[in-house]
Amino acid sequence: MKAEPGLVRSRLALSWLIAGEWRWHPLRFALTAVAIAVGVALGFAVHLVNGSALRSFDRAVTGVNGAAELAVRASSPLGFDELLYPRVALAAGVADASPVVRLRAQANGRRFDLLGLDVMRAANVTPSLVGQRPNGPDARGDEVFGEDALFLSREALAQLETRVGARVSVTANGRTVPLTVAGLLPAIGEGQAIGVLDIAAAQWRFGRLGRLDRIDLKLADRTAAEAALSDLLPADATLSGAEAEAQQGAGLSRAYRVNLDMLALVALLTGGFLVFSAQSLSVARRLRAFALLRTLGLPKRGIVAAVAAEGLLIGLIGSAAGLAIGYGLASLALRLFGGDLGAGYFNGASGRVAFQPAAAIVFFLLGLAAAVLGSVLPARAASRAAPAAALKNAGDVLDPRAPVPWRPALVLLVAGAGAALLPAVGGLPLFGFASMALLLAGGVAGVPWLARRLLGPLAKRPTARVPALLAVRHIHGAPGEAATALCGIVASTALMIAMATMVTSFRGAVDEWLGQVLAADLYLRVEGGPGFDPAAQAALRATPGVQEIAFSRQLPLTIKPERPPVTLIARAETGRPDALIGSVERVSSPPGTVPVWVSEPARRLYGWDPGETIRLPVSGGAARFHVAGVWRDYARQFGAVVLRAGDYQRLTGDATRDEAAVTLAPGVRGEGVGRAMLARLEPEQRRLTSFAAPRALRRFALELFDRSFAVTYVLEGVAILVGLAGVAATVSAQTMARTREFGMLRHLGVAKRQITAMLGLEGALLGLVGGVAGVLLGGALAQVLIHVINPQSFNFTMTTRVPWGTVAGVVAALVLAGAGTAVLAGRRATAKDAVLAVREDW
Amino acid sequence: MRVLASLLLLVASAALAAPVRYPEVRPHAGFRFPADHGAHPAYRIEWWYVTGWLRTERGQDMGFQVTFFRTRPPVGDANPSRFAARQVLFAHAALSDPRVGRLLHGERSARAGFGLAGAKVGDADVAIRDWRLRRLPDGRFATRVGTEEFVLDLTFQPTQPPIAQGVNGYSRKGPRPSQASYYYSLPHLRVSGVAARGTAHERVTGEAWLDREWSSDFLSPEAEGWDWTGLNLDDGSALTAFQVRRKGGGVVWAGGSLRRANGRVTQFAPGDVRFRTLRRWRSAATGAVYPVAQELSVRLPEGVRRFPLQPLFPAQELDSRRSGLPVYWEGAVRTTGGRGYLELTGYTAPLAM
Amino acid sequence: MPALSPLLSVRDLAKSVPPARRLFGGLDLAVEAGELVAILGESGVGKSTLLNILAGLDDADEGEVLVEGVALGPLDEAARTRLRRERIGFVFQAFHILPYLTLRQNVALPLALVRPDARAAASRAEEMLGAVGLAGRGDGYARDLSGGELQRVAIARALVHSPALILADEPTGNLDPETAGRVLALFADAVRERGAAAVLVTHSEATAAVADRVLTLTAEGLVER
Repeated sequence: MKAEPGLVRSRLALSWLIAGEWRWHPLRFALTAVAIAVGVALGFAVHLVNGSALRSFDRAVTGVNGAAELAVRASSPLGFDELLYPRVALAAGVADASPVVRLRAQANGRRFDLLGLDVMRAANVTPSLVGQRPNGPDARGDEVFGEDALFLSREALAQLETRVGARVSVTANGRTVPLTVAGLLPAIGEGQAIGVLDIAAAQWRFGRLGRLDRIDLKLADRTAAEAALSDLLPADATLSGAEAEAQQGAGLSRAYRVNLDMLALVALLTGGFLVFSAQSLSVARRLRAFALLRTLGLPKRGIVAAVAAEGLLIGLIGSAAGLAIGYGLASLALRLFGGDLGAGYFNGASGRVAFQPAAAIVFFLLGLAAAVLGSVLPARAASRAAPAAALKNAGDVLDPRAPVPWRPALVLLVAGAGAALLPAVGGLPLFGFASMALLLAGGVAGVPWLARRLLGPLAKRPTARVPALLAVRHIHGAPGEAATALCGIVASTALMIAMATMVTSFRGAVDEWLGQVLAADLYLRVEGGPGFDPAAQAALRATPGVQEIAFSRQLPLTIKPERPPVTLIARAETGRPDALIGSVERVSSPPGTVPVWVSEPARRLYGWDPGETIRLPVSGGAARFHVAGVWRDYARQFGAVVLRAGDYQRLTGDATRDEAAVTLAPGVRGEGVGRAMLARLEPEQRRLTSFAAPRALRRFALELFDRSFAVTYVLEGVAILVGLAGVAATVSAQTMARTREFGMLRHLGVAKRQITAMLGLEGALLGLVGGVAGVLLGGALAQVLIHVINPQSFNFTMTTRVPWGTVAGVVAALVLAGAGTAVLAGRRATAKDAVLAVREDW
Repeated sequence: MRVLASLLLLVASAALAAPVRYPEVRPHAGFRFPADHGAHPAYRIEWWYVTGWLRTERGQDMGFQVTFFRTRPPVGDANPSRFAARQVLFAHAALSDPRVGRLLHGERSARAGFGLAGAKVGDADVAIRDWRLRRLPDGRFATRVGTEEFVLDLTFQPTQPPIAQGVNGYSRKGPRPSQASYYYSLPHLRVSGVAARGTAHERVTGEAWLDREWSSDFLSPEAEGWDWTGLNLDDGSALTAFQVRRKGGGVVWAGGSLRRANGRVTQFAPGDVRFRTLRRWRSAATGAVYPVAQELSVRLPEGVRRFPLQPLFPAQELDSRRSGLPVYWEGAVRTTGGRGYLELTGYTAPLAM
Repeated sequence: MPALSPLLSVRDLAKSVPPARRLFGGLDLAVEAGELVAILGESGVGKSTLLNILAGLDDADEGEVLVEGVALGPLDEAARTRLRRERIGFVFQAFHILPYLTLRQNVALPLALVRPDARAAASRAEEMLGAVGLAGRGDGYARDLSGGELQRVAIARALVHSPALILADEPTGNLDPETAGRVLALFADAVRERGAAAVLVTHSEATAAVADRVLTLTAEGLVER
């Protein structure tokens, strides 16, 4: 016996079928392709933007590091003792060592990285950081060791709007020094503003005598060097390779990027649901055509193949268009928002979009897969229908008494809830996302059951009004059909509600926290300078109108080279209880220990629990600290540690402070006192210092917050639009498919107006069911986001705040969209002559 | 003479802009040892320059060069930083092995300080990381230098007293009296030690020449480069000769000396020394054309004596541009009744870092 | 019954339908090539089910159906599909002309299912359209045609691949009597001309009149008139 008649031989018939459907319903095809295109475009764009930003960040890191394979780095901007240099240079396995002083410099109003180097060491270790003098008859060689010779990268030269030979005033560490631009750094890539100066000059002129920030290494034997150096290094220096540095850069925004990627995939998923809806309806409409073909001798697989081929076409067109649109979107977004899409992770690291072929292929295939799967599933169902019955009856014979399956939905939901309880994998909430996917699938699968449940009471209630009766009984009787129309919208609504709830909760928590944190009347801050020395502090304290002033110092502290640094905050003790410190948990420190209070993210990242003794690289000696409390912090995702100012000063000898919180005497105005305080500072420092009232700070913080979530809002909006488009497409398709039913009703004496009303009501009911399902599902997803994904990726916890306005708005929009499109489609469907409609063959 | 002028060009030529004052080289009463074996940090440039011939136990000949330079860049004393580049050290090491057919070489450079690099005052001891040249308490000189390709671990036993070049060691290099250096040579040093290449260690013996010179300003602005040679003659005499070439042709200055086996020294006036090219060699790496074989004529009281100089092999160009240092030719040469080294500089385009 | 095996032969056929009904009661039938048999019957007596069983779209509980001597019962789905598309033609009450294909494509569909030769299929379909009186209308669509014309297209489709057996289920049920008569005459002529065997199921005496043999299907079985 031969195998089932080959599909290959039937290809002519199959191609006729597909081409015919295309010709007949080009718009439907186009719309489904658009759904896929939108999903692919969003996913690809977000991925490209992330990739480009990360690449330029990477480039910046390698640029500044001069691509040394291994380096000794200071744990904090205080640097480490330069006498470490000869010991590192002579350590086993080290071929050569290049000491570096690194400064955040400013000139002509632009910031750049200023490196102090020994050119002879750098020539061996990091040649890309060696400057080049202009060639020419009058070229001289002494700039190499010249105390005022500055070498700039092309980018720095352009940004500073200067030229070789010109004088430029460079400010760093609070000092301004006139330097001469002696030449270029030709090996530094584009987009990186870097300056190089002789190391001795950098130490002397910018107040860094005796300190180094980095020692770049050239290795003879990496294993030996790592072993020798790890024994050698003091607490305030760490050994890190280029990988750790890049990892740190990636780590900065990894969670944020993964979240965006997931959102983009959600858009794609919604697109897939849309294809599923559209193809389900298309298949349902063609059920008899398929039955005929089966009777005429087309094998079962032929139907699946035909519909799958349609899906493939949709996927090809949609994905290709999506890639193009995505690339355009990415360029636009980079230009408008910058590489981190406004989230502030990559400072100044922008750049052009780099096309990523691998990612393009992946997203193309994902789009294709969504389209094909969305097509194959309904086609398989259709191919199973008995052809003879399907031919005889005018469509699906539904049995309103048939029970709606609920077990698959329940299983999926339970699995989703279970996945939410699992821990993060490699710092990423992968199970959290799996949980969301499962919940989403379960939720969509549960829509028919929910529809039946919701409409049950309505269906039982006797009603005299024909339209209402028909509408309710139709959805109640065929909830599967409704679910088909609704799965896209339920998915997108759920995700949108989830995101909105999470963002609202986050924003609310931040707002509340800001209220606690900003308890003083006025805040002073030095930006890019060395801070207030004791003299300046005394001058500020003595300003009339200042009742109390608490100075603090903030600086980044690298705990692990591959992680972004935590923020060390040295705070002056004030008489009043501190609302911030120990806001989550506190213990009392035993006498003789140095207490520190760690922020919630720091605790999560480093496992510092109250009562524990920890090491912090605060000074060269190994300093031990007692964790006296945990406090809530939304500002520093990578953790913060509060230390008493007295302890800080004793350990580091650093008496400068860069922030001050001022309590005003009763009855004075903050603005005036702020000005008076500034006036008491040296002019140099005055330029770098700013003051702000809590209200302005709060507004600024929330603006930052909104900006960093702007992309999230946009993605949400797109998801909901795609969903609405889906509801419109499916409702109208379903309505058109029921033309004969309407003809029959007209014969029975139902007025056109009544049919329209019935359809409007049905659409509204559909929208309502979809909305309710979406909101319920979204609520569940939001809990996963808030309690699983957010803590696991951002290390923040918060309490749920429901955005009722958004919820109401979304449900209303769904009801209106459902009703509106149903009515519009109904008008078209009933416009035909009733007699013709009944007689109509298809 | 030597390669220093290129280095001067590189790091210390900005005499006009210099905020530091360098001492001038003037006629003096003579050298005091061992203090003058040590560094003279106030002067702008100084070197310890060893060249010589080695013979392996299997009887193969090789040339070698170990050179340490000290320069004082025009950096003032105001900067209290330990990194301030008050003294900068360079070193070159090269091995001319005819079996290889090209010069093997390596270099080191560092600013003095942190115990990583320095030139001692009081006696010869100059080092950059693990490279070192010093005088031992027993009067021998010892050096150890290593590159990826070879290691030299040698001692040099003086067999003759130093030759003070010029007038008591005041050696003129140009028409102006200040264009001069303090200069003494130690010829006929008896060499013993180890030369290692890869994993092969070979005991070597041989004869070398140490040149010591320090100055602040001697290169005339019209100078293009110079030729120098130092020859250990088999009869125990030692011949030194140099000429500073003028840009566009001609000679700015010339000089040298012949110390006979009996210790009598004849100093040469500029007109007493003449170099004539016998054969040129073109470097494929740099495009420079060097007169690698020359005939040296010196006027002696008994008449003009000619020394044909033939290289061990032509490719003895030292190209360390990769480290930002100059290109020159420094090669082992044979002559009738003796062996020595020939240095040729200024044959490439004007140097740029 | 002739000694040679008839084109279609049905032996001792019966089918149970819920709740507890037994159709056909051991039905026997033989149809020769070139013969047109009409089966009359009341609604619900199982006319369409019988037709589906003859087409291999449904299974009987007892007895067997042989098409050209091949028993359908043991055949698997694939073999039945192949049999249908190569040896059987169908005419339905609802004409089932696909609206998005041209008439020519509709007629050529059975050929296109077997062989991807568009040109040959088109010329054969055009020929068939001519045979049913619709020459030159191949580029039109279903919506351009009247009911009678649509059924003529359906007949063309049923015959285009020269099937041995043609099954027709109320082919004129949707047509007015005058059109029905013309379409039936065309159908009968076409079947006889091609020497195919045809089984026509109807509840109309008038329709049955075109057949060579008329049988009545009752709960007990087939009764010849």
